[in-house]
Amino acid sequence: MADLRKFLRERWRYIDAMLAVAVIVGSLAYIYDLLVGSRGLDVAYITRNYGLYVHAVLTNVYATTIAFLVGMAIGFSVGWLRTARTMPLAKFVLSLRAERRARSEDREVIKADSGFLIFFSLLWYGAKYVVRRIGDGFVEIIRGTPLYVQILFASSFFIVFLREYATEGLLIGIITLAINTGGYQAEIFRAGLQTVHSGQIEAARAIGFSRLRAMRYVILPQALRLIIPPLTNEYIGLFKASTFLFVLGVQTEISYIALHEGYAGDVFEIFAMVTAIFLAITVTLSFVVQSLERRFRIPGLGIEAVRKPRGVKMPAPVA
Amino acid sequence: MIRVNDVQKHFGALHVLRGITFEVQKGEAIVIIGPSGSGKSTLLRCINLLVEPDSGQVFIDGVQVNRHGIRHEWVRQQVGMVFQSFNLFTHLTAIDNVTLGLTRVKGMTHDKAVEKARELLARVGLAAKENSYPAELSGGQQQRVAIARALAMDPKAMLFDEPTSALDPEYIREVLDVMTALAREGMTMIVVTHEMGFASNVASRILFMDAGKIVEEGSAEQIFHRPKEERTRSFVSKILR
Amino acid sequence: MVVAGLLMAFVILPAIFNFSLLSTQFWQIYTRFYITGLFGTFFYVALTLPLSVVLGFLMGWARVSRIRIFRWPASLYVNIFRGLPPLILVIFASLFGTSLIPQPILDRFFAGFRRGDIAVGIAAIAIAMHSSAYQAEIFRAGFQSVPKGQVEAAQALGLRSWQGMRHVILPQTFRLSLPPLGNEFAVLIKDTSILAGIAGTELVAKSRDLLGVLSASGLPIVWIFAVWTVVAITYLVLTYSVTRGLRLLERKFHTPGLEAISL
Ligand SMILES: Nc1ncnc2c1ncn2[C@@H]1O[C@H](COP(=O)(O)OP(=O)(O)OP(=O)(O)O)[C@@H](O)[C@H]1O
Ligand SMILES: [Mg+2]
Repeated sequence: MADLRKFLRERWRYIDAMLAVAVIVGSLAYIYDLLVGSRGLDVAYITRNYGLYVHAVLTNVYATTIAFLVGMAIGFSVGWLRTARTMPLAKFVLSLRAERRARSEDREVIKADSGFLIFFSLLWYGAKYVVRRIGDGFVEIIRGTPLYVQILFASSFFIVFLREYATEGLLIGIITLAINTGGYQAEIFRAGLQTVHSGQIEAARAIGFSRLRAMRYVILPQALRLIIPPLTNEYIGLFKASTFLFVLGVQTEISYIALHEGYAGDVFEIFAMVTAIFLAITVTLSFVVQSLERRFRIPGLGIEAVRKPRGVKMPAPVA
Repeated sequence: MIRVNDVQKHFGALHVLRGITFEVQKGEAIVIIGPSGSGKSTLLRCINLLVEPDSGQVFIDGVQVNRHGIRHEWVRQQVGMVFQSFNLFTHLTAIDNVTLGLTRVKGMTHDKAVEKARELLARVGLAAKENSYPAELSGGQQQRVAIARALAMDPKAMLFDEPTSALDPEYIREVLDVMTALAREGMTMIVVTHEMGFASNVASRILFMDAGKIVEEGSAEQIFHRPKEERTRSFVSKILR
Repeated sequence: MVVAGLLMAFVILPAIFNFSLLSTQFWQIYTRFYITGLFGTFFYVALTLPLSVVLGFLMGWARVSRIRIFRWPASLYVNIFRGLPPLILVIFASLFGTSLIPQPILDRFFAGFRRGDIAVGIAAIAIAMHSSAYQAEIFRAGFQSVPKGQVEAAQALGLRSWQGMRHVILPQTFRLSLPPLGNEFAVLIKDTSILAGIAGTELVAKSRDLLGVLSASGLPIVWIFAVWTVVAITYLVLTYSVTRGLRLLERKFHTPGLEAISL
């Protein structure tokens, strides 16, 4: 008894690992048995058709990449707009009043001049406020509604107004995906830029950098480190979302499954292939994200919150 | 009261405790000093079994505690522990920190536990802070709550692991005062600290540890002013300066 | 946000597409579709949300476990379900789902259901599992951000390890995970719309169904946009209220020193 206990304790690491592997293999085998069972795996189907599915996923990669790049332009501009400092109107009026009171003590200021100034600063702040609000609204709408609804909206738009392009599923899909990822990326860029912004420019200028050089040597290196991992995550998310191209009639893996409807024969083989191809891409990319994060980590500088852009925010570690 | 006999501890290839033997009588306050990494914290943790010794024996009140059949939870009720980084439960107020052990370990009713916790908080001078969360307390206040939390379990002895070294200088005094009062009341204590004033006033004996061994043992007067060993001398001269 | 939404829904979009959300004729034909659709969405959310939290919590817990029998399968689970698109999961679940349930159980408990409905239910569970993989990561981060000293302090007081888990670790994990969970719930609500891709009866599917009726009703075709606008607003309200709700919950349980980052 005591011997057994000692043996278990000493070998626990190996026993534990073996059991874990057994659990994994066992449950996978169980599922395999349920789905394939006595029928046997149709290897011939796989060898005959795997090229078709790789090609289908490559269509997804193609659409994702183009949409991602376009979305980056959208996301950067919107994200940058959203970092603009604005103040609510009420606060602005209050600050004007305070300023006027200060000035009325200072007799030298000419009345007309100050009126002119107020008008233009009102216009300037008003414009900034409105633009920022539009950016906020865009991001909220994109992030708050399902991609499926956005795609249906876009396809309705093409059907009603641009009838001659309505059959170009890939085009419509890429446009929608680009706008969609633009909304998500805006959030990443905003968080990245805002985290670096404060204080760093001043510090760089204080040691004699020009504004441009401060951007080049201080802001960008920090912002890029912060932004690249969440952007990669966003690419993964967009790649997964690109399966929706099927709704628009693009020939992808799902449309091939649809061909099989009513005939359940090779569905498991298709599932296995599609899963393998997708996991190969997404899991590889998420390992890339992890290693990027490890390589680029700057102690004390982090925006956990934007790491998981598609909705998942990470809590900050307790100090 | 507490007897440690030839305790050894390895962390992987690292030999941290190399045969520690000493004894603490009831009502004694022992201070342990020694350079960083010499194994002081590990020794304290071996006494309440937060770390299990590889070999050797730990006795509390004559009972060997590091053997099969003794529940760790029971041992830990016998000796209270105060940590360098306070480790107050972040999500609980000061008073809830104190009552948690009373209600969950001792099975006391809530009302009784609150009553006792109030008493203890008053004893460490924090009656007014019972509803504050740890994040709202200063370091010194947090450490005093931690002492009250440990005392609540009515331990037979208390272990202090550098209780003041994470504190700003102005808060060290208040914690040391509480500890001094505790020693005067006859609590058995083992304190790892480099507060020489406290050691001189309160310690009945001082142990100097280096590289996992007790190098020298003696009264405060002897260790600080007439050390026998060369290693003790060089260490003491560094901290007394 | 609210003002912008109202402006969008009642002024800008109607002006562009020339419809009005206040038209009685429109609501006469849409209301029935809208109500059934909304109830469908609520039903799927009520089905998937609790399931995903329970699964996500268990998986997150398993992922910080020292025991490999728990840790390795959990990490496989998380990687697979995070790595696959929910649409694919849904489609395969609806095709295979029923063969994953043993026949006796099907006969015994689901005899009264149509096979198609069971398939959609299983597809909904697949969505819950996809979300639970993300929630597992949230809970894992929550567990990992509870400092080791907290556990040691609990042990030093003489609490048993399950008591330390119950009274010290879990309450802190829970607080740290609340706001990110709110975001994940919003994602889950949006993801139930995927069920419209198979035979699910929910808001998007019912609204799509309306389009067939729309041309017969005499309203111009641009009124599709009225439908999409209503659908979008509904989802905005749902996601907004769930994230808001969780934030309120967080404020209720707020403890100084235990804050999760929120944007
Ligand atoms: N859990 C652990 N795992 C591995 N090594 C450990 C562990 N705990 C302590 N050590 C190592 O054991 C040695 C002694 O550590 P210990 O904390 O006991 O020293 P100490 O005398 O308390 O030092 P300090 O004054 O810095 O607190 C150190 O080298 C430390 O790195
Ligand atoms: Mg130490």
